[in-house]
Amino acid sequence: MKHQDGVALEVDRLTKVFRDRGAREVRAVDGISFQVAPGEIVGLVGPNGAGKTTTIKCILGLVRPTAGRVTILGRDVASHYPGILSQVSAVLEGSRNLYWRMTVWENIEFFTGIHGLPRRQYRRYFEHLVERFGLADKRDVEVRKLSQGMKQKTAVVCALAKRTPLMFLDEPTLGLDVETSYELRKTLRELAGEEHRTIVLSSHNMDVVQDVCRRVIIVTAGHVVADDSIGHLIGLFKTRAYRLALRGPAPEGLEASLAAHFRGVDVQNSPYMTQVRLRLPEPDDIYMLMDLLRDAGATIEEISQEEPDLEKVFLEIVRKEKVNQCNS
Amino acid sequence: MQLVSALTAITRRTFIMMGRYMFNTVSVLISIYMVFCLAFFGMKAFAAASPSRALDGTFEGTIVGFFIWTLAVFGYSGLSWELINEAQTGTLEQLYLSPNGFKRLCTLQVVVDFLVNAAVAVVFLFAMMATTGRWLNLDAASIAPLVIVTLLGAYGVGFVLGGLALVFKRIQSFFQIVQFAFVGCLVIPWRIAWARFLPLSMGNGLIYRVMAEGKRLWQLPAADVLTALAVGVAYLAVGLAIFSACEKAAKNRGLLGHY
Repeated sequence: MKHQDGVALEVDRLTKVFRDRGAREVRAVDGISFQVAPGEIVGLVGPNGAGKTTTIKCILGLVRPTAGRVTILGRDVASHYPGILSQVSAVLEGSRNLYWRMTVWENIEFFTGIHGLPRRQYRRYFEHLVERFGLADKRDVEVRKLSQGMKQKTAVVCALAKRTPLMFLDEPTLGLDVETSYELRKTLRELAGEEHRTIVLSSHNMDVVQDVCRRVIIVTAGHVVADDSIGHLIGLFKTRAYRLALRGPAPEGLEASLAAHFRGVDVQNSPYMTQVRLRLPEPDDIYMLMDLLRDAGATIEEISQEEPDLEKVFLEIVRKEKVNQCNS
Repeated sequence: MQLVSALTAITRRTFIMMGRYMFNTVSVLISIYMVFCLAFFGMKAFAAASPSRALDGTFEGTIVGFFIWTLAVFGYSGLSWELINEAQTGTLEQLYLSPNGFKRLCTLQVVVDFLVNAAVAVVFLFAMMATTGRWLNLDAASIAPLVIVTLLGAYGVGFVLGGLALVFKRIQSFFQIVQFAFVGCLVIPWRIAWARFLPLSMGNGLIYRVMAEGKRLWQLPAADVLTALAVGVAYLAVGLAIFSACEKAAKNRGLLGHY
């Protein structure tokens, strides 16, 4: 893979093989390749043990890859290490990346200091970040006294404060409540846009990835199984799947009548309410569905189209990949 | 500029942490002083009972030995404890993400620690002299270079333990062994040929000659000073080589983030 102009990160056939005590090989990363354009926010998702964190650590030089090449802003990481790290920052273990006995401000000054940023010169930017993440009144409080959400935000601020063009966020919302998670991803999305940062975000939380990223790379068993824009991936999995709620128990013969015309018919019967799920092959089939229901004497209480989200797409892709692996 | 910012950050963190862990800092100093008092007054009682006054010159030796031992123990354990703590708290990988390089950060930390420890050890030295009533020759121009040369070996051991901490994480039991080993290195007479090649041993002997016998650095045999320097550099080089090997193993096995 040749370097192309305008590529912030290029990972080429990255492989990492661990050997356990019995000399058994574990291929944590198996020839992963992808590119990230400047200013792009990319989600790296996969089930547990898929190789996401190992991939990020290999890119950052924290784990030595067995094979493959990584370039950051056109420079080969291996031959420009550690100087190349001036272009990169990362949140790897969230709040554990901080000194809990130091204050928010002291942590920011320390981590930017060892990154080579003079604290006096960047003071205003640090203040801007602290303000932006709602930590202004906590800046002189020791990290150990902060809530989990604030610790996590401090870790993200420490990484952002380094002003690097490329950032890695490994599970940045892990352990956060819904409100804090939403607030954090909103600030991240806004800041990334304003400062034109390139971000690679790894998370188990598909809502976070769908909310913050435009593109997603799905990894299972150490290799990439999907790399596409989230909108396109969801489009691929979009079906005319409908969910209906019918008043009372299902009329006799309804399930057989629906199954004769549509796919994926699932009828959940109860004395008060019947739930029906099905997929319509053609858009006009909705009329046929209505006719069948009327003929059967069913009363529709509610009808809705099921929209796939990233989580459903992810589960479907991972399921198919497992089936493929079993077959091969 | 990058290095200056890193040095400033490390210095500030060192003082902040000393302040936040003040109780621990003070209790370490008090416990070392108490050990010294026990050793000194025990020896004094033994000397009083001895008709030959055979222990007369030993008091100065004990002060010099304790001074060097304190600096050596602070030096080697500071570095390796730092690495163990960083791995346990989860900040180690962040330090590895510095464009200055982790080894350079470690070296800056060693320099800062040395200066802080030296200041503490000098106060401790005055406390020992005041306690014993034996005032030694404090020729800073002669003592400072000899102390640095002597401690190179201790820092070499520190890098070895630091490297082992990266791979094995829990190596605290080694610390006590090394502390006793350092006492052995300081007690064995360096006139014995093989003892010259132990860390601390020869340097301690030379510092004793300056502090207890009133010699100046240039009045010491050049061969002895060079031997002490060569031994110190050799231990430091071996320490750094082992540290690099352990670092490589930790990166190969993905152990940097483990604790």
